[in-house]
Amino acid sequence: MRIKRTHVQASLFLLVYLFALTLWTLPFQENRVPYGEWDAISHWELADFTAQRDHTFVYLPSFLDFSYGKDNRFKPHTLWYPPPFHTDMAIVSVFAGDRMVPIYLTNAIFATAIMLSVGFVMFRLFGFLPALLSSFLLSLSMRDILPYLWGQWPERFAYAFIPLVLYCLYRYYLSYTEGERKPVYLYLMAVLLASTMLIHPLAFFHALLGLAVLCLFLLFSTRKLPLSWKHAGIASLLFLALFAVFPYQSGNVIVSFLGDGRGLPEGYDPSLTQRLFQWSLDPELFVGSVPPSYFSFSAMHGLWMLPFLLLGLGVLLVRREHRDIFLMAWLVSLYLVLHRDLIGKFNLIHRSLSATAHIFIPISVVGVLSIPSLLPARAETKQWLRYGIALLVVGLGLYFSFPQAYATLDGAYDSPLVRLNAAQIGASEWVQRNVPEGENVSVMGPPEQLMKKVWWMASYSHRTSHYFEGFLRWETYADERNETIRQHLLNDYLVLDYSDIGRLQDQSLARQWQEFERRQLANHTLIYDRDMIRIYKYGGSSDE
Amino acid sequence: MNEKILGTLKELRVPGVALLITALYLAFLIGLSAALSVLGIAILFVLPFYLILSAFSLPPLEKLCFSFFIGVAVFSIPVYWLGMVISLRLAMIISFILYAGAGLSLHLKKR
Repeated sequence: MRIKRTHVQASLFLLVYLFALTLWTLPFQENRVPYGEWDAISHWELADFTAQRDHTFVYLPSFLDFSYGKDNRFKPHTLWYPPPFHTDMAIVSVFAGDRMVPIYLTNAIFATAIMLSVGFVMFRLFGFLPALLSSFLLSLSMRDILPYLWGQWPERFAYAFIPLVLYCLYRYYLSYTEGERKPVYLYLMAVLLASTMLIHPLAFFHALLGLAVLCLFLLFSTRKLPLSWKHAGIASLLFLALFAVFPYQSGNVIVSFLGDGRGLPEGYDPSLTQRLFQWSLDPELFVGSVPPSYFSFSAMHGLWMLPFLLLGLGVLLVRREHRDIFLMAWLVSLYLVLHRDLIGKFNLIHRSLSATAHIFIPISVVGVLSIPSLLPARAETKQWLRYGIALLVVGLGLYFSFPQAYATLDGAYDSPLVRLNAAQIGASEWVQRNVPEGENVSVMGPPEQLMKKVWWMASYSHRTSHYFEGFLRWETYADERNETIRQHLLNDYLVLDYSDIGRLQDQSLARQWQEFERRQLANHTLIYDRDMIRIYKYGGSSDE
Repeated sequence: MNEKILGTLKELRVPGVALLITALYLAFLIGLSAALSVLGIAILFVLPFYLILSAFSLPPLEKLCFSFFIGVAVFSIPVYWLGMVISLRLAMIISFILYAGAGLSLHLKKR
């Protein structure tokens, strides 16, 4: 039986993709409790709330408005992200009938979509082997894995659109200059560009810049400019139609871009000469935000890739075929994006660093696979050499990059102090069923190590959670503290969560809470008492 | 008419098998909800837009790739707006019928 080449290629690609999915789903293969940093909490709860409620919404429910009510600068108290990303997750959650796995798996599929888009573009421009290698190495990219774990969900996915947007312009441009016009690619480019913005605006601006640079490079190369007002008009209409479909969120993108007051940090005054030869950023500027290793090429990509990257750059510069120009334009646009601090646009600049692997890896692969072509050998020998080199690169990736990727994903949020335990989930679900929407549910304490759990409980229960003791001390609430205290005393449900206390070294907190319970809550109604979690209705009558 | 649809379905044989393998693998690795999630993404987000893009002269791989990325951004638009007044589940069904129907009629008309 003859095996088709396309079937072999599809099987190999499927193998690589299943390898990636196995790796990237490690954090929740066995532990089915939501996890992540503050951003992850917001993304999960948006999707989960929509799915659980079985309705979408324009104005935020109170438990979301409490935290994110001012994030949409154009229309406060509405969604601060365009709806598609979270609505998609809600759709999948409803379809699969589960609160956790569908959302996290959809996120894993979206986050690994960069493998699909880069693989596709590399396949169309350079062939199967470069595509397969690029996708495989991207599955081990720490620059993608870390923000994926932290919770930068929409941004991860949005970056996957960039190579496709550029590819569509590339195809349209060349078809026009070669006399075989294919306007469908321009229309697809417009739709994909608008789609990028609907997922995350940061990648949208990067894509715009990429389009400008690619256009310029192709203009220099072909000495032709494809200009069809009809095609451009239709493409513009398609883009504007999608841009306008969520006016509050599109408005937020415009207002945020134009009126971004979050300029350069104090004391930071970058000069052109200083930044010109600097690819990455100074980790000192981001202390407390991302670890210093995030800015290191060797820590994130591995020094083993550097010679291949330099070789690849050399090949692109010397060869300068249209497909090489494509990669160079993409690289230059990323460079410009990473130097936008020079025009005062500093906000989230470090996040653009997460796109480096998407272009470094393809260039490195082009470089390493071009080695046989430099040797005096027959074509067949060169092809076998390419296969050998490909296996070598896979081996290097598995040896140098896989251990760190595996360890990071396998151990992610493993501690019982960072994910809700069964008692907390049970209490949160009870609150969701029995406490009216809009009511405050204040969690006493908690200690610093457990702070995120309060937010996760709020997400699970869809109820606003104040941090009672912190609330009384923190400057955040200073302006309206007295009024808010009055509101709390009248309306709050108080949660005393002892379920994690046994895991902490300092047991004095447990004694403080017990004393507080004995002295302050004796005359208030205990409405829930299970698995070391107690909930009081402060000042109210018995509910059960 | 059946031949035209069959032609498009024939293009989806390899991706269909890949989808089945992925779903079975995820069911083994994580559980049934994982398999259903992948099937949901393929059926709701990819299939209708593959049919729409079949109206244009694009290679099957391009149609497949673009349909995923366009589908995840665009499928939820009617779901979001309808979902405010009707059940999300119903909105999903209507959105699917809308896009798949548009895809089928465009596809048949073009060929």
